[in-house]
Amino acid sequence: MATATFTRIVKQAPFYDEGHGFDVFGLHPPYLARAVEAGRLIYERYFRVDSTGIEHIPAAGPTIVVANHAGVLPVDAAMLCLDVLLNSDPPRIPRAVGEHFIPRLPLVNTLFARLGVVSGTRPNVRRLVERGELLALWPEGVSGPAKRFRDRYQLQTWHVGFAELALRHQATIVPAAIIGAEESWPLLAKLGIHVFGSPYVPIPMSPLPLPARYHIRYGEPIVIPAGDPDDPACVRAAASRVRVAVEQLIQDGLAERKGVFQ
Amino acid sequence: MRVLVTGATTPLGLAIVDALLATADTELVLAIGRESNPPTPTASRLVYRSADLTHPRVLHDLLWGETRERAIDVVIHAMQHRASGHRGAGVHAQNVDVTRSLVLACEHHPTIRRFVYRSFSEVYALHHTTSNLIDEESPLDFTEYVPQWIRDRVEADVGVCAHLGGSPSIAVLRCAEILAPSSGSQLLDYLQSRVCLRPLGFDPMVNVLSVAFVLAARSTATGIFNIPGFDTLPLSSAIAICRRADIPVPGPMMSPLYALRRWVANFEFRYEINAQRFHFGGVLDGTRARTELGYVPHTAVSWPQPWWALLVERLRAERAADAS
Repeated sequence: MATATFTRIVKQAPFYDEGHGFDVFGLHPPYLARAVEAGRLIYERYFRVDSTGIEHIPAAGPTIVVANHAGVLPVDAAMLCLDVLLNSDPPRIPRAVGEHFIPRLPLVNTLFARLGVVSGTRPNVRRLVERGELLALWPEGVSGPAKRFRDRYQLQTWHVGFAELALRHQATIVPAAIIGAEESWPLLAKLGIHVFGSPYVPIPMSPLPLPARYHIRYGEPIVIPAGDPDDPACVRAAASRVRVAVEQLIQDGLAERKGVFQ
Repeated sequence: MRVLVTGATTPLGLAIVDALLATADTELVLAIGRESNPPTPTASRLVYRSADLTHPRVLHDLLWGETRERAIDVVIHAMQHRASGHRGAGVHAQNVDVTRSLVLACEHHPTIRRFVYRSFSEVYALHHTTSNLIDEESPLDFTEYVPQWIRDRVEADVGVCAHLGGSPSIAVLRCAEILAPSSGSQLLDYLQSRVCLRPLGFDPMVNVLSVAFVLAARSTATGIFNIPGFDTLPLSSAIAICRRADIPVPGPMMSPLYALRRWVANFEFRYEINAQRFHFGGVLDGTRARTELGYVPHTAVSWPQPWWALLVERLRAERAADAS
């Protein structure tokens, strides 16, 4: 019997089937639904995710959720995607935009593709935005997970490609802050070994992430005024505006929470 | 329109000729093939000529003789060597030199106004940083040690693209793989085997085409167009549809195992041609062909099936017919 989650993801969420149950990037909703069922325990019991502001995600149309990024592995990204999959109304499937080395990782590349992750190349993201999908982006890129513990909740390198994309396609940007992830699995060291093209091999402080409580805060949608997407100053200004909004959400979230594990 | 079709005796060429004859505005099809026997379709509007276009004199005489006399205005160049194991100057001449000579001759031809070139999705470079969705601006494969199969196709494609913007108007159709017998399909040969080996940990998306060229011949749109197929699916699903055994093996073992298979069983599939595709996939983005040529893929591929599956299907159909 189909569970409520299965029905939400497979029957209700918009999906662009290429004829064999997969979209052009390899997303397979039944596979995603099973993964969500499995990940739900971690979401609800281990990290006890507290989510506010999910109603800011529009019901339809091209949308880019932009958040901070940290942790040895992208657990924060997984929790954000789970949060959207479980709570967005109407249900939408977030398309997490990943690093370029992911397609080189055996098993991981296929797993991620089935779950809706796409490599962040221009034609890929353009196609997703053109067909009005919901993208989840972490503009810090690799510099987010690579940050030192003392730099937690301080945004690192802020790539601006998402702002150009939003300007070009009039996409709505929803800023988001993930509180808890930056203490959950701190990085001890980075080995300069480029396994399968990865930028480094992470050495975590603990073998598993600590059960810090995650608080995910979505801000009000940012409507970027029409501008020239080819003008670097215009793109940088839009990206900075989103960065300020994410920083504000982080500060508010840190001020509101009672402790790392609460 | 009056159309010259090269490679007219191949399955693709036959399909193009069929499609052209099915349209009312086709006044004449001059079909060119190497074989001395004419292709299967017969019609008053079809003229078949056997010619080896690798000889410059033959090519010249064809274009400035019968082509001019019959006032041919469209050339569809679909001729390419199909055996992946063959290499050398003869193959290069057929793949590259003929294409180059043909497009050069068309530039000065008095009647030809349109040149449609059938290119291949294999011309695109595939690696981990390239997109899943390959648009016309994606980089081509200029890798140093690429097999001649791919190098020839890239060279011919670039040779035609160099003439874009002039006269005649040129359309380069970079087509997804055509999954049909005798069409040089690597994937078809791969799926013919009872056991399909797949690189461990990789299950790329593949896209295959059944056929469509008439739209490009009729249109005046110039440029490069990706022509994707109807079927887009992971490699493992294609293997499952064909009811083959899917065995993942570590990537470095694939090439020697398939070389052994080629040596023992005389198959055409060469892993070195397909290695990148079998790791990173890549599906052609047909947006430009849709907007400018009006091309929408709609014909599903008929996947190869083992004999027992075909037998079961036939018996089922017979039983259903008897019952009705």
